Amino acid sequence: MMAVFEKSPRLRHIGHLDIQRAVQRALRRSGLPVSYSKGFNPHILLTFASALSTGYAGRREIMEVQLEREVSPEAFLSAMNAAMPPDMQLSEAKMLPDQHIALMAAVQAADYTITLTDDAAAAAIAAKLPAFLAQESIIALRRTKSGMKETDIRPLIHTLKAEGNALRAVMTLTERLACKPGMLLDALAAFCGFEETPRVMVVRNALLGADTAGALAPLETL
Amino acid sequence: MPSCGSEPGGCGQVKEENPLTMHEKIEAMLEKVQKAPRYTGGEMNTAVKKWDEAALRFAFCFPDTYEIGMSHLGMKILYHGINSQPDMLCERVFMPWVDMKALMEAESVPLFSLESRTPISRFDVVGFTLQYEMSYTNILAMLKLGGIPLKNAERAEDDPIVVAGGPCAFNPEPLAEFIDAFMVGDGEEQILELNRAILEGRRAGLSRMDILKSLCRVQGVYVPALYDVSYNEDGTIAAMKPNCPEAPEKVMKAIITDLNSTYYPTEIPVPYTDIVHDRIMLEIMRGCTRGCRFCQAGMLYRPVRERSLENLVELAMSLENATGYEDISLSSLSSGDYTCLAELIRELIRRMKEKRVSISLPSLRLDSILKDSLEETQKERKTSLTFAPEAGTQRLRDVINKGVTEDDLIEKVRDAFQGGWSSVKLYFMMGLPTETYDDLDGIADLAGKVVREYFAVPKDQRAKGLRVTCSASVFVPKPFTPFQWEPQDTQEVVREKQRHLVTALKKVKGVNFNYHESDLSYLEACFARGDRRMGRVLLRAFEKGCMLDGWGEHFKYQAWREAFEETGVDPAFYAFRRREKDEILPWDFIDCGVTKEFLWREKERADAAVTTKDCRKGCNGCGLQRFKGVCSFCG
Ligand code: SF4
Repeated sequence: MMAVFEKSPRLRHIGHLDIQRAVQRALRRSGLPVSYSKGFNPHILLTFASALSTGYAGRREIMEVQLEREVSPEAFLSAMNAAMPPDMQLSEAKMLPDQHIALMAAVQAADYTITLTDDAAAAAIAAKLPAFLAQESIIALRRTKSGMKETDIRPLIHTLKAEGNALRAVMTLTERLACKPGMLLDALAAFCGFEETPRVMVVRNALLGADTAGALAPLETL
Repeated sequence: MPSCGSEPGGCGQVKEENPLTMHEKIEAMLEKVQKAPRYTGGEMNTAVKKWDEAALRFAFCFPDTYEIGMSHLGMKILYHGINSQPDMLCERVFMPWVDMKALMEAESVPLFSLESRTPISRFDVVGFTLQYEMSYTNILAMLKLGGIPLKNAERAEDDPIVVAGGPCAFNPEPLAEFIDAFMVGDGEEQILELNRAILEGRRAGLSRMDILKSLCRVQGVYVPALYDVSYNEDGTIAAMKPNCPEAPEKVMKAIITDLNSTYYPTEIPVPYTDIVHDRIMLEIMRGCTRGCRFCQAGMLYRPVRERSLENLVELAMSLENATGYEDISLSSLSSGDYTCLAELIRELIRRMKEKRVSISLPSLRLDSILKDSLEETQKERKTSLTFAPEAGTQRLRDVINKGVTEDDLIEKVRDAFQGGWSSVKLYFMMGLPTETYDDLDGIADLAGKVVREYFAVPKDQRAKGLRVTCSASVFVPKPFTPFQWEPQDTQEVVREKQRHLVTALKKVKGVNFNYHESDLSYLEACFARGDRRMGRVLLRAFEKGCMLDGWGEHFKYQAWREAFEETGVDPAFYAFRRREKDEILPWDFIDCGVTKEFLWREKERADAAVTTKDCRKGCNGCGLQRFKGVCSFCG
């Protein structure tokens, strides 16, 4: 069963592992026939399409749960919504075909709203956005296991526009390659000549996959 | 905030300040602090009650961090107990960590509750739980951060009524200047009665003082302002007298006779973030019949009251369904004594199997029946086993009435090593009354014997990696124990003994030795048996920046010493002095069920190294027998 859930802004400081544990406990409360792994330390068979960083909220996060027997999406939704905390409600559930590609591998990009707390900074960035995007390449620093690495994030930015004091961005997010909001902001701050990266509130609106024609679309619709 | 309707930041009850501003300030702070989940709230099973619909609002304050407070069973019971009343609301408040506290002060954000982010000064009642003497500075810090005057005499008519309960309320005197009313004894019903009385008083338009006087009719409530204390020339207490007709001469603790019929929550909050005890805690009984003479809890929580097996199984099931926790631990002072322990565990294992819940016993009894059922479920959980012989020789164990023999211990350790455990923790106390260096050497002896038991198990049958950890804490004499008259070892003596132990244990291969700085235990001793004058020291120490004393890195011993000097209070008077039999002790006005006569009798037996039997084997006349039908073991 695949389900879409929210991580409300109130919970944005809760890390991915804690969110994962909260979902596991909700599943245990729900009374749904969840499957457990075999072995010494059995755990619920639960995966997430993508881990959401500490500090970010998510509107349409995606999880997949294995069940022992068939349950209708409606029954799944209502059992889970009764069991999930108010700040982590589900909006959709859907049965996945037996043979489907791993959700994690299907994610291609993500859609973010990045709200700046400082209006002046927001205005300055909005003004410079066309010039920023006109660059041929944008080198950003990315932390990896083997130290800082330079990445050209320009090809990873699919769309980027200003909406009031926020930025709306669709950026590549795969297991191999990603442009996270933090990298984008660092690059924007450097481009605008800010001394430090402005404070923001990040909401991940959707996880996107590629449809048969290769166009990006919300993962849960594919 | 889902907990309070549409408006973020507190239901419109914040009047002085634009509610959005305070909410925004908090949100901005959360971006900067180390562990934001301590302050976010919104956990599963936290109360979602409308502020305006509650007639009485209670701020439950735990004077330590979120992780500690959320691990505390009593808080969860009372939190849901108050919220189960249709006209009452209870929200949680914890001590913010230094980083958050500094930001709050800089931005003038008052201490707020987690659920609705309401400043604590807006609650009708602000209640602290007193678990540990060294959290007292945190209480002052929380009051100050909440904008509530520290001293009860300085509070205005519409300030919240500040109450406190918990084990340390059995000697409330060091906090007498700061707390309006103490609650002594079992809290479940008492706290509701207290709230009712306050509510009635408010409705009747009574003055603050008259409301406080009216609280005296609730069993176990002590209002310090209604008593005067006079002192002798040598500093001991001459008399403590009520100064109004409402206040009783003696405050009798509240006792719940039947735990099965009292309130126990069927849902408890499930935190997102890691806390110390993140599991279901099932209180299987209250009280203890063993009668260890150093143990305050063992006396305070008498008589023993067991919950019935049916009640416990039912509670466990509903708690499991409401929380989804993976672990249940049985909680009590000595779970091994619970009458139907084996049946209880077997039944819990049977019912919880499908949900893969593991059952853990804090003090494991490795009876053969239990062994099998435990092995079945806990294959992977061979963590370390804990034993508390408390003293190194049989003579000293007899003095403290710790009914453990060396043979018992060795047998259990052997069982454990044979059962695949390789890690054992041994807890001892040093500085017990009558202790000699022979007793300290006994600790090293015992540790050596434990190590030998491990190597006695054939190599291919024992788990690898022997770890024996020996911890020795410094004994702190506590009120309402047979040792309440005893001096604590001076710090010089403690240090000398610690050096001795280090050397003695170095010779035992495979043993790790842990001990603590004695400074904290020394202060703890001053407060544990302190009187009202210790309140002056507390206030001064707080003004000098003392706070979070229980957190090693924040403990400012030098500041405490200065606080004693500047207030002219002699710490040795409280910690190192032997009290006379007829001295009026600061807590004598409280009747904890156990009588002073019994305690003195026990003290004399301790001096003679004579043990007293477990009262499941026959009543020892501790004082509870005075009340008909309260103790089930006194016939
Ligand atoms: S009254 Fe007797 S049986 Fe009951 S706790 Fe006291 S000593 Fe034990």
